[in-house]
Amino acid sequence: MSSDAATATIDHHFDPTTSTGIPNKKVLMWAFLASDCMFFGCLISTHLIYRLHPPPGTPPARQVFSIELTSFSTFILLMSSLMMALAVNAIQKGNLKSMRWSLLTTIFFGCIFLGCQVYEFRNFVYEKHLTITNSILGTTFFTLTGTHGLHVLVGVIWLSGMLLYSFTGRLTEKEAIDVESMGLYWHFVDIVWIVIFTAVYLLEYI
Amino acid sequence: MSTHAAAPSQGHELEQSKFWIFVQIAMLLAVITGLELVTVYLPFMRWILFSVLVVLSTVKFMFVIFYFMHLRWDRAFCTILFFIGLVLAAGTMIALLKLFGADASKPLAAAAPPAMAARAA
Repeated sequence: MSSDAATATIDHHFDPTTSTGIPNKKVLMWAFLASDCMFFGCLISTHLIYRLHPPPGTPPARQVFSIELTSFSTFILLMSSLMMALAVNAIQKGNLKSMRWSLLTTIFFGCIFLGCQVYEFRNFVYEKHLTITNSILGTTFFTLTGTHGLHVLVGVIWLSGMLLYSFTGRLTEKEAIDVESMGLYWHFVDIVWIVIFTAVYLLEYI
Repeated sequence: MSTHAAAPSQGHELEQSKFWIFVQIAMLLAVITGLELVTVYLPFMRWILFSVLVVLSTVKFMFVIFYFMHLRWDRAFCTILFFIGLVLAAGTMIALLKLFGADASKPLAAAAPPAMAARAA
């Protein structure tokens, strides 16, 4: 569907049919993300508390972590956020082809991030002997980063579903809110990682 | 914050310019991540490095939510809704860290399993 004329008539930031002037799907997603903030806030603070008192025999977190790998993962997730923003921008302009390529790249970056996390977890368990059950540090670390990884996995599945759905011909500029809601979720996963990267990884190095 | 009343032609120009805004912000975020990485190796006092890291990650956080997540262009209601959750989360984190950040979180030797207690001794 195209495009320039339609773009001029559709305001993606305002929905006159709702009492708030905002599409209901967007309000729902923002409310969910606000609640998810509290969920991750508790997980992060639990890790920050218990990392201070590792049980005897637990290696210092600084010796366990690989800052190079984590920085690479952070860069990949930031770039995936860029591609997601471009995908939303493309569908809002009715450019389905561009949206598909952007979604595909976002999925690719998401998979790279998950691959890095699996590699990191395997390295911790088999090389550094840090497991989810052998120390409180391991419990809080794996719970926090594992929950985030699960969010990324859900995001990748959602993105893949949306990409397949776009080939049915039912995804048009009018349904851009569906892609935008998914984008909000993906960016949220990114901002959670921004906090985790600083609070869990970088703080161990200062 | 809300721009829904803007003229259609202005809205179209905004959509066109968003592409470059997003690309520039992504580059900025990558540079800030690099700065964070360098910061942890600088020979300064811990509280200074901590403050710098908090500021840098807050800047990244704000750029993502206001630009990538469109809060800058959406109605203020979305910002308020999200910040309610954010403030509650921050308050919960501060409260938990104040309550359990000291010796209170240290595992009790008496409550530890025999093997762990022996290692601790």
